[in-house]
Amino acid sequence: MDLSPRETNVSPAPRVRKRQWRYVALLLVVAVAGIVVVSQFLTSAIDYYCNVDEIGVKEGCDPDRRIRVQGTVEEGSVKEVLGATMFTLEFNGEKLAVAYEGDPGGIFQECIPVVAHGRLNGDTFEANRIEVRHSNEYVAENSERVEKAEKAGCSMITG
Amino acid sequence: MNSTPRTEPARVGTPATRVFGLLAVLFLGWVVVGGLFITPADAIQGDSVRIMYVHVPTAWVAYLAFIVTAIASAGYLFGKRHSLGFDRVAGASAEVGVLFMALTLMSGSLWGRLTWGTFWQWDPRLTTTAFLFVTYLGYLAVRGLGGTPERRAKRSAILALLAVLEIPLVHFSVLLWRSLHQEASVLSSDGDVKLDDLMLFTLLVGVLGFTALYGWLVSHRQRILTMRDIEEAKGIDLAISERIAEGSVR
Repeated sequence: MDLSPRETNVSPAPRVRKRQWRYVALLLVVAVAGIVVVSQFLTSAIDYYCNVDEIGVKEGCDPDRRIRVQGTVEEGSVKEVLGATMFTLEFNGEKLAVAYEGDPGGIFQECIPVVAHGRLNGDTFEANRIEVRHSNEYVAENSERVEKAEKAGCSMITG
Repeated sequence: MNSTPRTEPARVGTPATRVFGLLAVLFLGWVVVGGLFITPADAIQGDSVRIMYVHVPTAWVAYLAFIVTAIASAGYLFGKRHSLGFDRVAGASAEVGVLFMALTLMSGSLWGRLTWGTFWQWDPRLTTTAFLFVTYLGYLAVRGLGGTPERRAKRSAILALLAVLEIPLVHFSVLLWRSLHQEASVLSSDGDVKLDDLMLFTLLVGVLGFTALYGWLVSHRQRILTMRDIEEAKGIDLAISERIAEGSVR
């Protein structure tokens, strides 16, 4: 039996090689995607995430830099002025006037926690992005509760 | 060491897959009907809360899939026989996990638009979830890089055991950092379940339904992977026998 090496140069399964190249390409795309995810996260983390009562108090929450401020929209404070939305954020007894150009969207309303991205200008925080936080509590909507909420103000929403 | 089976399964359906399939249809049927028409809207979020019945179960099942991948990978690496059956279960589970993770990201993005007012935010929970998704895409790419089934199994098993460590980071990211994403409602840190009863029931049925769907998909997929390995083994056997035949002619 002759089992010496072949003389002819047989191509080793081109379909398999093609499939492997596809996976190599996918791996490169994945590596790039991983870098993008991490870099975007780090870039976003440059804006400190501060509660209203931490502005000017906590390190990184300096009034002269761009920050993200978290607080609850004060009841009765939301007003629309020339296409801008004005409201007051409160947290731990501290209040902050916020101005946002446009409609914040989402489920923005009074008594709901929000995160405002922007910069303090005088006494007003000028936000160019508003995100609404919602709690991890889910309660069925019904008219009786809505009536109670209207009477009780923020306490029904914020617990 | 090589446990590549030599007998080809006639088809990929089994009594187990039929049970999984039936359970998936029943439970997910309830999720569609109950989630859309029977459960109440949320007092704050309104009807957008119904996305939860897909978003939360798919996230949990994706975690489950990646944990199964890690357990099966450990079974391959540390088992005495280094059975390739473990590797195929690991691969099938990771594929289905990636599918569910993609569903989680898409449904979460839609839910975010309706509640937060934005499709995406580079916040800790969203970022770690995206990174987990990308990691397992990488795992699937590594599985496809070629080499013998044993080499594929070994390198992907090591990767799976490292990748699964990301899951606690994703789950606890909302507690470790300030996050736009809310904390868990069912598995919350204080142990309270903060859901309306009917919403909770539908959510749990959703978890069962998507878990059954996961079982159905993984059972089928691992049998397909088995058949593929058999085909490749047959190809090698054929090449060897052809070579032997060639040699004996000379």
